[in-house]
Amino acid sequence: MTATHDQHGGHAAEGYPEHFEPPRGRAWTMAFGPGLVRGAWMALRVVGLGALLVVALRAWWGWSPYWDTHIVLVVGAMTAAPIGFLAGIGSFDYWLHYVSGRPTRPEDHSGHGARTWRDYFKVNTDHKVIGIQYLVTTFFFFTIGGLMAMLFRAELAQPGLQFVDSQTFNGLVSVHATLMIFLFIIPAFAGLANFAVPLMLGAPDMAFPRLNALSFWLLPIAGLMFLASFLVPGGAFASGWTAYAPLSEGQPMGQTFFNMGVQWAGASSIMTALNFLVTIITMRAPGMTFWRMPLLVWANFTTSLLVVIATPFIAGSQFFVMFDRIMHTDFFTPEGGGYVLGYQHIFWFYSHPAVYIMMLPGFGIVSEVISTMARKPIFGYRLMALSLIGILVLGFSVWAHHMFVAGMADWLRVPMMITTLLIAVPTGIKVFSWTATLWRGRIRLNTPMLFALGFVTMFVIGGLSGIYLGSVPIDIHASDTYFIVAHIHYVLFGGSVFTIFAGVYYWFPKMTGRMYDERLGKLHFWLTFVSFNATFFPMHYVGLRGMPRRVFDYAEAFGQLNFFISIASFVLGASFVIFVYNIVTSWTRGPVAESNPWRAHTLEWQVSSPPPIFNFDEIPQVVGGPYEYGVPGARHAVMSPAKEHVAEQEEVHA
Amino acid sequence: MSAHAEAAHHEHHGPPAAHQSSRVDARVLGMFLFIASEAMLFGSFFTAYFFVRVVNPGAPTEWPPEPYHFPVFVAGVNTAILVTSSFTMHWALQSIKRGQRTAFLAGMILTFVMGFAFLLTQVVEYLNVGFNTGDGAFASVFFGLTGLHGAHVAVGLTLLGIVIVRGFRGHYSPEHHHGVELPGIYWHFVDVMWIVVYSAVYLI
Amino acid sequence: MRKGIVQLVAIGVGIGVVLTLVAVLFKWLPTSASEEFDRIQDLYWFATIISIGIFSLVTAVVVYSVWKWRVPDDDDADGPPIHGHTGLEILWTAVPAVLVIAIGVFSAVVLAQNGRAGDRPLEVEALGQQFAWKFTYSDFDDVASGELVLPLGREVRFTMRAVDVIHSFWVPNFGQKMDAVPGITTEILVTPTRLGEFAVVCAELCGLGHATMRAKARVVRPAEFEAWIEERQA
Ligand code: HEM
Ligand SMILES: [Cu+2]
Ligand SMILES: [Cu+2]
Repeated sequence: MTATHDQHGGHAAEGYPEHFEPPRGRAWTMAFGPGLVRGAWMALRVVGLGALLVVALRAWWGWSPYWDTHIVLVVGAMTAAPIGFLAGIGSFDYWLHYVSGRPTRPEDHSGHGARTWRDYFKVNTDHKVIGIQYLVTTFFFFTIGGLMAMLFRAELAQPGLQFVDSQTFNGLVSVHATLMIFLFIIPAFAGLANFAVPLMLGAPDMAFPRLNALSFWLLPIAGLMFLASFLVPGGAFASGWTAYAPLSEGQPMGQTFFNMGVQWAGASSIMTALNFLVTIITMRAPGMTFWRMPLLVWANFTTSLLVVIATPFIAGSQFFVMFDRIMHTDFFTPEGGGYVLGYQHIFWFYSHPAVYIMMLPGFGIVSEVISTMARKPIFGYRLMALSLIGILVLGFSVWAHHMFVAGMADWLRVPMMITTLLIAVPTGIKVFSWTATLWRGRIRLNTPMLFALGFVTMFVIGGLSGIYLGSVPIDIHASDTYFIVAHIHYVLFGGSVFTIFAGVYYWFPKMTGRMYDERLGKLHFWLTFVSFNATFFPMHYVGLRGMPRRVFDYAEAFGQLNFFISIASFVLGASFVIFVYNIVTSWTRGPVAESNPWRAHTLEWQVSSPPPIFNFDEIPQVVGGPYEYGVPGARHAVMSPAKEHVAEQEEVHA
Repeated sequence: MSAHAEAAHHEHHGPPAAHQSSRVDARVLGMFLFIASEAMLFGSFFTAYFFVRVVNPGAPTEWPPEPYHFPVFVAGVNTAILVTSSFTMHWALQSIKRGQRTAFLAGMILTFVMGFAFLLTQVVEYLNVGFNTGDGAFASVFFGLTGLHGAHVAVGLTLLGIVIVRGFRGHYSPEHHHGVELPGIYWHFVDVMWIVVYSAVYLI
Repeated sequence: MRKGIVQLVAIGVGIGVVLTLVAVLFKWLPTSASEEFDRIQDLYWFATIISIGIFSLVTAVVVYSVWKWRVPDDDDADGPPIHGHTGLEILWTAVPAVLVIAIGVFSAVVLAQNGRAGDRPLEVEALGQQFAWKFTYSDFDDVASGELVLPLGREVRFTMRAVDVIHSFWVPNFGQKMDAVPGITTEILVTPTRLGEFAVVCAELCGLGHATMRAKARVVRPAEFEAWIEERQA
């Protein structure tokens, strides 16, 4: 935590010799230097330590049996091993050095920036490298989650059981949702923001680069933990991503992987959010007032506040379930005096804000893309920022709309319905402002813009189905049906995922220094757009007609439509192949990109593509708003501010 | 990929100093945000407590239910110890700011010892409290909240330990004392949190 | 400009008409078999009208803008620097607020009506257990049945309990749903208005057999119901 970039040995008292790493052989470095190899063996070693600790403590307490596989797994494999792995790859090297009381090592920036592709597999403190690490990792898990979805869609093509058994089916559904939420949408946004936000702010890096690296490396741990649950007896966790107690408490061991995986993913997002907040508050370039920040920065500012405040609640909810499971506590078991609905309240107090954590960064991306591609200032910039804050505040007062049929106190329903419906107002403001930004623009319909416009229209459908669900009587009918599945996919796929695609295409030239293939990009969009609608629109229908969610079997009457949905979902899956092909070939062989192919005004486009290792030679001076398209002579920033100019500006500003 | 490698070979060694756009120090702000998040974690435990005891139609009328009881007095003494340690922590920080090294070290050691005593008392209390995690929702809440807090004390003690080691090596001075200040903020948080936990679990 | 407005409106109306056709030509909701669902369906149509309006408006502007103002990718001019318009911004804050509040008030009224038990409703206890429902008629010596039989036209109050995990009692044709939760009892009211057989579905994931946790609900004439009960009581 105490490691900022400019620290360079800040606390070191004078008179201490500089620390020198003695030179060693290559093989030695491979095995014992920080890296994946050391990570692997250190992880394995501490599993044993964890097991030993459990057995020793149990023996001391006199609890038999001394060996309890479940607890050994929690302590050894899910707590100690990840820490060992992190220590092994070198996440803690600097801090351990610090805590051992040795003088601070002078920062030589050796862990900063990527020189070869191998550097992406190491602990790196460069926010641009970390951003790309995030994106590649999250798209990896997106692929796996997508394949799982196609597997259970195959099962759903006909009523009855065909390919998988009931436990596996529920497991696939649960792991699919969990990966998509915790290992794709949330961290993919964090990756894009990691890359773009410091550049947009005119900062050389994030506030805490080492913490930033650590946040990234927690992710693969969480992802592997979710996947590993398939390997234990009883199969993967199978009580949905919502993991309602008491069902989740009676589940086989796989459920514990969910309990713990969420902790690692949650810790990762809290650390990143904290880092964004501190960066945005303390590291803006001179002249970059809050009202001159690009909306992507605003979006990540509000999202990060949501994360810091709300995420501990899901951590809590999963701790309680895990304690109930392995320590026989009674938080949610009525026989022992617990209260079942407490789980849902605590879970949704995080998970409703989480849906905005999964949406607000997308709002930011779309604002960047639409304004730049339509060549117009964002319509109503201030109201756009204020509506983000409105959503942030209202977002904490609506959690129980997920519990309208849960049997909670009746008097909570109407207030929660009103706040829920009111969230449509700031959301509506954003949609209308985007469309007004298009009005009379000079619209360039390239791939990022297509995804942005696809987002605007699809998100409106998701928002409107949200209004249906916000209305208690309609929700009583539609809750827990495929209508919900349709709603969440319109907001999360047509919404968040479209914006992630828009963002990846938009910043691709900046990240890689190469241009993607525009024709393939457009093909990807149209195929995705059509098959997305073919897959998810009919789900509204089957849901309202009577098909509940999370079922492997359903009434005969829904057979034909489900068959159609499954086929469409395979096309949707195939469309992703085009994206991967485009990205991979363009990254390796694409034409070299200009530094500012979109002629955008925000700061990341004013430096080379890819940006220099420390972003800026000199911190730029911000002199105006970020979207002053069409304003004669307007500039967002002066890149190498001459001394007098700075002084002048600061006077104006003061 | 190769384009990236080219850009990486930049002559510049080291970043330009970031512009400091806020009067707040980044590390202090980071610590406060972290504490906000920690407070919410406690919040989730208090919420569970609230549901189990207040909303739950099956909640026992007696809290804790017969025949159990909480060691209110011992925990009260423990509270006093922890609260005192907040003052010694403050004293230590003020001392290093004034450059009084001995007072600083004495303050740190006192704080550490009191924190350690607190934790030890709590372990003994667990061993003698007369019920276990499986004895009902009241016990879940009791062990949940005090355990969560105990874990925070343990983390706090680790941080204090680091400060002491570095303090003895002379790493702090009136100009450089962030390394004392940040663990100090955390320690005060742990103390304040305990007062809330103590009131909610033992007193109400 | 006038021509443009006409074109825009034409696009909007076109989209609106198509959507209206989609909304009315397909039967999106199951046939209502309860008074409660009748009211919910009115509300559903109210929300649908508003939704069609908003969706048509937004897509019309998007489609029209792209059609009118699209330029080649390498065009390098900028659009007019319009930063905002306070009147418009107030308008699109206020109008949606009014619309959602209208939906909210309508919903609250329907909710209140659907939650008002008349005098002497028929009491049925629904017990969820992995993976079956059990219905107990407490007015009639606790007659129990796996099949739900209800008299036409009489208000029924379901009291729900669960043995093991959460289940959710749902009859799509009644439009009413409520979770059965271990440790507490929950309620829901249904007034059947249509004779016939309907499906009882468990809507909350409750484990391996969740998908097949279905039962039958039969709405019969009151006399038939009496006979059915008597047969069971004997
Ligand atoms: C106008 C805005 C929105 C409204 C009024 C709204 C309303 C609702 C309501 C009432 C539910 C609960 C339905 C039920 O379970 O019975 C729900 C579910 C859900 N919403 Fe929204 N929503 C809105 C926007 C969003 C957005 C932006 C996202 C995410 C990006 C989102 C994601 C979800 C998810 C994931 C669920 C299902 C959770 C689950 O049970 O698995 N919603 N929404
Ligand atoms: Cu929600
Ligand atoms: Cu079920």
